Amino acid sequence: MTGRSGDVSRMIAASALALLASLALPLLARGAALHHVQISTPSPTEAVRWYERHLDCQPVESRPDAAACGGLELAFAAQTTLGSTQGTGVNHIAFSYERLAEKMSELEAVGVRGSGVRLQRFEDGSTHRLLPGLYRHGFVFDPWGTRIELVEDPDRLGFHHVHLSAARPDATLDWYRRILGGEQGTLPSARQGLRFGERWLLMSPHTGTTLAPTRSRAIAHLAFEVPDLDGLVRQLGAAGVDLQAGPSVPANARTGARRAVVLGPDSVTVALVEPGFAGTEQPVVAGGAASETPDEYKAPRTPWGEPDLQGVWTGNAAHGIPLERPQELVDVEALTPEQAEARRERGTLGSIWGYEREWRDTTLGYDKMTPSTQVAMIFDPPDGRLPPLTPTGERLAREAQVRRRRLASQPPAGPEDLSPYVRCITRGLPGMMMPGIYNNGLQIVQGPGFVALQKEMIHETRVVPTQPRERVGPKLRTWLGDPLGRWEGDSLVVETQRFNGESSFRGSSGRMKLTERFTRVGPAKLLYEFTVDDPEVWVRQWSARFAFDLDNEQYELVEYACHEGNYGMFNILSGARTRDREAEEAGK
Amino acid sequence: MVAGRAQFGPGCRRAWPVRVAGAGLLLAALVWTAPPLVAQEPSVPRSFDGRPDLNGVWQAIGTAHWNLEDHPAAPGHPDLGAIGAVPPGQGVVVGGEIPYVKAALEQRAANFENRMAADPEAKCFLPGVPRATYLPYPFQIIQGDSKIMIVYGFAEANRTIHMDKENPEPPPLDSWMGRSHGRWEGDTLVVDAIGFNGEAWLDRAGNFASSNLRVQERYTPLGRNAIEYEATLTDATVFTRPWTIRMPLYRRLEPNARVLEFKCVEFAEDLMYGHLRRRPTR
Repeated sequence: MTGRSGDVSRMIAASALALLASLALPLLARGAALHHVQISTPSPTEAVRWYERHLDCQPVESRPDAAACGGLELAFAAQTTLGSTQGTGVNHIAFSYERLAEKMSELEAVGVRGSGVRLQRFEDGSTHRLLPGLYRHGFVFDPWGTRIELVEDPDRLGFHHVHLSAARPDATLDWYRRILGGEQGTLPSARQGLRFGERWLLMSPHTGTTLAPTRSRAIAHLAFEVPDLDGLVRQLGAAGVDLQAGPSVPANARTGARRAVVLGPDSVTVALVEPGFAGTEQPVVAGGAASETPDEYKAPRTPWGEPDLQGVWTGNAAHGIPLERPQELVDVEALTPEQAEARRERGTLGSIWGYEREWRDTTLGYDKMTPSTQVAMIFDPPDGRLPPLTPTGERLAREAQVRRRRLASQPPAGPEDLSPYVRCITRGLPGMMMPGIYNNGLQIVQGPGFVALQKEMIHETRVVPTQPRERVGPKLRTWLGDPLGRWEGDSLVVETQRFNGESSFRGSSGRMKLTERFTRVGPAKLLYEFTVDDPEVWVRQWSARFAFDLDNEQYELVEYACHEGNYGMFNILSGARTRDREAEEAGK
Repeated sequence: MVAGRAQFGPGCRRAWPVRVAGAGLLLAALVWTAPPLVAQEPSVPRSFDGRPDLNGVWQAIGTAHWNLEDHPAAPGHPDLGAIGAVPPGQGVVVGGEIPYVKAALEQRAANFENRMAADPEAKCFLPGVPRATYLPYPFQIIQGDSKIMIVYGFAEANRTIHMDKENPEPPPLDSWMGRSHGRWEGDTLVVDAIGFNGEAWLDRAGNFASSNLRVQERYTPLGRNAIEYEATLTDATVFTRPWTIRMPLYRRLEPNARVLEFKCVEFAEDLMYGHLRRRPTR
């Protein structure tokens, strides 16, 4: 093809394509309304409480999984989240308050511990600032990773808007407008969006990495109520929109209203519901993973004939199991999976906020382990509680408490006033074997006659001989003691003594004898049992257990260079010296 | 030290050490590329798969941890008298000198000046590779089938040598000890270590490399109780060409030999935080 005629025919073809494209997505809906935003959380009831307490939402009658938030429903689904809303097509939701500064200081005072509030500060450390030409705003996160903007827009109080991130904002805006209607408009500062009644759908351009699907993140989907679901779905099908489910009444639905699910631009899951939709009852999954007993499984052998325990294991599933049986769970054999999920989440929340979820698992794309439903670690004594203390044990406990109180009431004089763990020396034994909120890897490498147990957390490694050998002399006392191992059937049994006693576990002394038993009870499960025999402290010995799970495929231990990056120590001590100076000034 | 009685056969003497003082780059390069002179050692213990069995507690004996290059005796901290003095030593660098680019030589001099406070060893930081090998502490090799783990006495450093994995580059994270992948070439365990963070030093004299460092180590058994250790360092940021260190590693022969716990953090706290104590010690 040459010359003008070619150009013209190409132009015609191009116009035809453009026409087809716009025909493909005609204006389909009228009168759709934003119905709810679905947030993933291990514990819907806890989430309802959080939004009630901190963002003035109201519980919904006979809906333990929903909150009414100033004109919009937040629906909480009991499911694991792989991370925050950031990085998905639904970046955040926004609430408007009349006096933002007041609200932000109220939230700041809550703190991040427990089911707290995490504030996202601006570069200058402030919690809110003026968005020129628009309103004051600031950001916080709920404990499950939902980014929440708080704005001071007196004209629209309560739930304010849903903020999308879009690779191509114009196209995204167009998609929502054509399918759901909505009134196109701009907020005062030319922020583009769609208005559904009083609620806005705003969008900002996103560049760089591909936006992650919402379905496994904190905000799992947006839902719109549409008057004619069947008609809309028919047209969507004809227009090539990806229909993922429905229209149908979801399992365990509270009403007969139907729902369809489509995948919108930027991998945002969008639910379309009929009027009257009121969510689903949370399904209760029966039973946990079947417990495996040592008798049913024979561990593989290394080429030189010893039981093979090698691999990368993690304690992630066991994280959250308390050492002692809680009083309120006296007769409970196992938690439900939802309770187990909630327990793990509480454990995470009680520590550094979202570290594991945000910084590691999500970043490296790990699948999370289903949490263990085990009620407590101690199985002997059978009541699951530590045995009574001896008189010496009581004295030691009192002394330790006095010391703790003294240290809590005054700034540390030096590193020795902080725990060996904070100092990056050790977690001690059996402390170093315990699962925590992050870096739970345990790598086992064996050679003939030796087993190396490498814990990822602060890179502590134990080399256990499995052939008989002499114990080190009684003066040679160390943080992790002197281990002697042996094979008993499929089990690796390790007896450790000669502790220096400076890293106590629940009051244990340097005279503790620790006996550990590692048994592979399934292809991917390593039972870890330990017995603490410390007659100086407890009137009888006690035993506990939990399991490690094999995670060879996805998990790699990282180098936990703890001391090398222990800036916290500098900060704690320099802060302490500032406190000293202030106290001195005040005393003058 | 009992290990001094290690059986170190005549063949080994031939192989070690090859001194080329005053030789030019050409000779250095020839020595560097030469294959291990001890190819077959009849008394090498064998593993289940016929490979040399490197399991055991090993230690380098010498002064490489003070300075990889030739160094005369030198004074140490005056408070320590002769205890703190630097013992003299013959270098372990094949060809004699580390081929620094000019700017890096200045950096080494600065490192040396500030060594009391800046040497990562003084701070009990992870020692990196190859420094971990020749620090004056024993280390244990645990050699199985798919992984080999080396547990070092110093700072509880350890590394896993993957014998069973492809070598993905770059590793997901830079680290002090890097990531190691190994393979057998005859009786020699060849380990490629990459992914370093560039913070580690090579000795107490301030020798160093950057995060572009790649190390190829060769562990060749010399009979039952010694290993010839070679490490070739490639780092175009700091060195004009790859260069090699070579030294023997000796088996610790004490019947009760083990790598004892040396959690050195507490011994570095005064150095690092002494000025922040309520009663400053620095």
